[in-house]
Amino acid sequence: MIQVEHLIKKYGKFTAVNDISFSVKEGEVFAFLGPNGSGKTTTLKSIVGLNIPTSGRILINNLDVQRYAKETRQFTSYLPQRVVFPENQTAREVMRFYCRLRKLPLARADEALERARFNGFSDKLVGEFSGGMVQRLGLAVISLPDAPILLLDEPTANLDPQGVKRFREFILNQKENGKTIIFSTHLLHEAEQLADRVGIFVGGKMAAEESIETLQRTYLASRTIEDMYLHYVGESTDED
Amino acid sequence: MDYKAIYYIARQELVINIRNKWTIIFAVVFGTLVTAISYFGMMTEGFSGMQNFTRTSASLLNLVLYIVPLVALTMGTLSFTGDKGSTELLFSQPLHRSEVVLGKLIGVFFSIALSTLIGFTLAGSIVIAANGIDGFTRYASFVMLSLALSLVFLSIAVLTSALSQRKAKAFGFALFLWFFFVLFYDLLALGGTLLLKGKAANTFLFLSLFGNPVDMVRVATLIILDNVTIFGAAGAAMLRFLGGQTASLLLLVGGLFAWTTIPLLLSNILMRRQDI
Repeated sequence: MIQVEHLIKKYGKFTAVNDISFSVKEGEVFAFLGPNGSGKTTTLKSIVGLNIPTSGRILINNLDVQRYAKETRQFTSYLPQRVVFPENQTAREVMRFYCRLRKLPLARADEALERARFNGFSDKLVGEFSGGMVQRLGLAVISLPDAPILLLDEPTANLDPQGVKRFREFILNQKENGKTIIFSTHLLHEAEQLADRVGIFVGGKMAAEESIETLQRTYLASRTIEDMYLHYVGESTDED
Repeated sequence: MDYKAIYYIARQELVINIRNKWTIIFAVVFGTLVTAISYFGMMTEGFSGMQNFTRTSASLLNLVLYIVPLVALTMGTLSFTGDKGSTELLFSQPLHRSEVVLGKLIGVFFSIALSTLIGFTLAGSIVIAANGIDGFTRYASFVMLSLALSLVFLSIAVLTSALSQRKAKAFGFALFLWFFFVLFYDLLALGGTLLLKGKAANTFLFLSLFGNPVDMVRVATLIILDNVTIFGAAGAAMLRFLGGQTASLLLLVGGLFAWTTIPLLLSNILMRRQDI
């Protein structure tokens, strides 16, 4: 469904993503795991067509993202790292705007708000929302279209524990509906709980690409997932 | 082109701007200034009280030439260098980048148009009440030229935002351009004539007009108001050079159209190769 081939992205002399290749199958949940600045966001934004790769190519359903940007974005729904909405619009207005852009019936906006438990807040201005509520609204927006691929950049960064729980439910629900999901995180347990496969990003490279089962089999028998992660990012743990 | 999507983005931008306190403040300040200048603007020329449309337009011209470019550059920069989180979400929708840019441009243009039209309508209504509708067509043409000026500077704001990408840099660039076009350009053009002699100096001066949309609107308004004689012999020579009043007006309007489309085309080329 998604194929990334030898993706390189440079900002001047700095190489943010250095020759990354991987593929994600239909219905799979793939987690980008890595510290800040390891190339997760750049890779995600390249998949959506927001970043122009220096070289390499990305295919979504066999269509080149650079050549067919508009067409491939029909297949994707993307949640940026720090999603922002106009403060002087209500949640319902925001949802209806994205409904119209995606050519969906407006009733879909109300359904999505209900699903996201916005009851009582749908007609409140976004400026009155907490960071967690804005993030929830973002999740509601990306769940609007029938896009088969969800791309989420650090989706739990602004969420409180309750919000994180809701996010997990959201991902599992979307997975049940057959969606292909890529999300980035630096939280190991999040990747372990939600993903089928994990790509470990270190310094712009994908240091490892493993299924959660393989990782658990290889490492977790004797070590924690944290040890495994630190092994890839090149830091030793004193307790070893 | 997805015209429906462009319309939705324009509408959203318009609604956001109408609810923005700065747009409201601009509308109130502009309305007050327009009304006040309409009343007091001709006092130094020996006229008192509310004047007819022709004199009112002449009084308002300088206000428009200073304020409209500044507001268009500011609002354009604000809109096109918005929060990363909202820009990314919008540009990740199944749309061409040019469709998003066009939608936003139209939305910001209509919000500026609405704010200025409130002021112009207010002043216009008072003029009608005091002196009737004589000269209304000229006033309406002047208002159209003011709107064209705002569109030109909005296009420039799109280009400077695409060139700068970051908000602070884009604002600095926009402010520099305002100073350049509104204050420095005429000095540069006059300085240029000192280096040339005779006919060459005249030709240079007349052609330099097309390098500054502010001057183009100034001259076009004065032509509409039948007031180009304010330039004396130079004005007459310029009209002759450009091919008479109608031809001059057409040339100037064509020039303003070019000043709107060229920055937009350049920003489209730039944005196709840029990261969002």
